[in-house]
Formats: sequence, structure tokens, C-alpha cells
Amino acid sequence: MTDPSNNLEALMKQSLNGDQQAYTTLLQETARLLRPYLSRKLSFANEVDDLTQEILISIHKARHTYDGNRPYKPWAYAIARFRLQDFLRAHYSDHLRHALDFDEMEENFQENVTESVMSYESISKEVEKLPEKQAAILQLMHQDGYTAKEVAEKLGMNESAVKVAAHRAYKVLRNKLDK
Amino acid sequence: MANIDKLVTRLALEATPVKPAPHPYMLSLKWIAAAVLYLSVSLILGGLRPDLAVKFLNPWFATEITLLSGIFIATTLSAALLAFPDLHQKRRLALAPVWLFGLFVFILFFAWLADTPPAPLPVHSMECTMSITFMAILPAFWTLYSLRHYASTHARLTGSVALLSAFSVGAIWLRLHENTDSIIHVIEWHYLPMLVIVVLGMWLGERVMKW
Repeated sequence: MTDPSNNLEALMKQSLNGDQQAYTTLLQETARLLRPYLSRKLSFANEVDDLTQEILISIHKARHTYDGNRPYKPWAYAIARFRLQDFLRAHYSDHLRHALDFDEMEENFQENVTESVMSYESISKEVEKLPEKQAAILQLMHQDGYTAKEVAEKLGMNESAVKVAAHRAYKVLRNKLDK
Repeated sequence: MANIDKLVTRLALEATPVKPAPHPYMLSLKWIAAAVLYLSVSLILGGLRPDLAVKFLNPWFATEITLLSGIFIATTLSAALLAFPDLHQKRRLALAPVWLFGLFVFILFFAWLADTPPAPLPVHSMECTMSITFMAILPAFWTLYSLRHYASTHARLTGSVALLSAFSVGAIWLRLHENTDSIIHVIEWHYLPMLVIVVLGMWLGERVMKW
């Protein structure tokens, strides 16, 4: 059997003609190719997954700019680099925002972010409405009893980021419950 | 990985036949043809400078117009290449305008040295920049609008090159239309504003080329 990664150009040509099987193989192969490249540039597995998905969507959107007559890999990597730059730009600007949040957090350092006076079950419906990552963090910390450090390891984040996300989630929940 | 598999399945379901984008040479040829038509109509309506035939006997003027046309063609081709994520794997060609601009500056410098005694400055100044900009609006609009249908990974550079291409259409028009011999005036009010256009293009490109 031939290695599909050797014939990505042909797969893309077939995909452009509407061959869904060829397109599935092409995208899977592209994801496999990109993983080591992105892993070298990013620290966390979940970031690699998120970015791989974004790149695949971009490849899908831009597939009309590929004609099958030139090498596929430079085209796909150009898109990957572009999305990686976008991602890093957003990541670092997010870091700056987090830095501001840390100032805000200092006021609440006496609060224990791993304990709550309310039971998790009583607010679980509100938690489900939170963004996916925040909801997962609260669930792991309050339902499953993990510490912020353990959650960070599980989700491939750093501990501070988990605490910041938890803090934000508490804020949203507090506002909702106050209402 | 499960999420990626789900996404791949979803994207594959959307994989209907797609018509590949035209080759950048064809794309740029289309833009050039449209610009030539626009330029011709403008010159027919506005009129050519009365001494144009004589002016073309001046080697500096002829070289200036030839290079300006070269810049227009090179920037248009470069914009078409930049519309593709991988620059259609013709990176050197996409950067060709840089060399042409270098040569253009060189020629303008010699044209300025050759302008002795200096031709009298015209009474107007800013009006030339305004006229070129006004002439460039339509080509700039259609180039940027077309570029949005592709997938540029160099948004700022694409914006700059697209605006320079449009601005050079305006600059050619004014050089063929306006009866001005002062090279100082031409450098100051026709060509130096290109630097502002580069910056404006970067700003606009970042906003317009999102995909």
C-alpha cells in the first residue's frame, strides 16, 4: 500500500472534485503532518489540538487557492504558519490581559478558589452554561475534588491560568446568582 | 484527537466540488486589462498632454513612464501572487516590485540631475496628489474586493501592494495628462505620496484581508 502522505497533491485534486473519502484522508494526513510542527512551537497539548482544528478549517476555506499542480505541503504549511502567528499574537495579548487580572485577583487572595460555601450540585446548571473550559475546570475542582495544580496538569494548562479561569467563572456565577 | 476526527468528518461532508482559483498570471492579466481600459477611457475623456510626443523623445521621461508602467505591472502581479497563501510558490516574483522601485528611485535621481536649468515649478502642488488618489480609488476598490475572495497570508503586504498598483495607475494617468516638466514637483507630489500609500495599504490590508 502506498503512503498517502506521498500523494497529497493527488488527494487534493480529487477533493476539489468533491471526493469526500480523498478529502478525509487528506485532512487526516495534514493533521498528522502538522502535529509535530505545532508541538515544537506550543507548550500544551490542548493548544496543539485547538490550533490544528483552526488550521484544518482554514485549509478547508482556502482550498480553492490550491490547484493540484504545485506541491501541497508548502501551501498547507503557509496556512499553518499564518494561523500559528495569529494564535501566538492572541495568546500573548491574552497574557497581558491576564496580567491585569492578577492585579484584580490580589484583592481576593484571601478567598480560597478551591472551596466554596455553595455546593457544586446546587449551581451545576449555571456551570453548564459557562464556556467549555471554565465549566470543565469548575467540574474538576468542585465535583471531582482535584486541586488547581492537578486540573492544570490534566488540561495541559498552567496553574495560574486555571486559577484565573476559575476566578472568572466565579465572577460570572456570582453575578448570575446575585440576580 | 477525537475532536479533530469529528471536525475532519464534518469538513469532508462539506467537500462539494470546488473550482480552483485562476492562476495568478491570469488574475493579474485581468486586473491589468481592466486598468488599461480605465486609463484609456480617462485619457480619452481628460485628454493627453499636448507635448506628449515630444516628451517621449526625452530619454528620462520615456524611462520614467516605462518604469512606472513596470511598477504597475509588477505590483499587480505581486498582489495576485500574494492572494495565495503560499504566494503560488513564486516568492521572488512576488518581491519584484522592490527591485523596480529601487531602479525607479535611481532613474528619478538622474532625471533630477539632468533637469538643468530646473524647469519652473507649477503653481499647484497638493492637487496632483489628490488627483492621483482620486483616479486610484476605483482600481484600488476592485483589486481589494477581488483579493478578498482569496486567502492571503500576508495581509499588510497585500494591502500595500494592491494600493501601490492602483496608485501607479493614477500616477501614469497624471504624467500623460498634465503638462508639468518640473521633476522636483513630480517627485514631491506624484511619487513621494507612495510612501503614505504603503502605510495606508498596510493598515487597510490588515482590516480587509481577514479570512
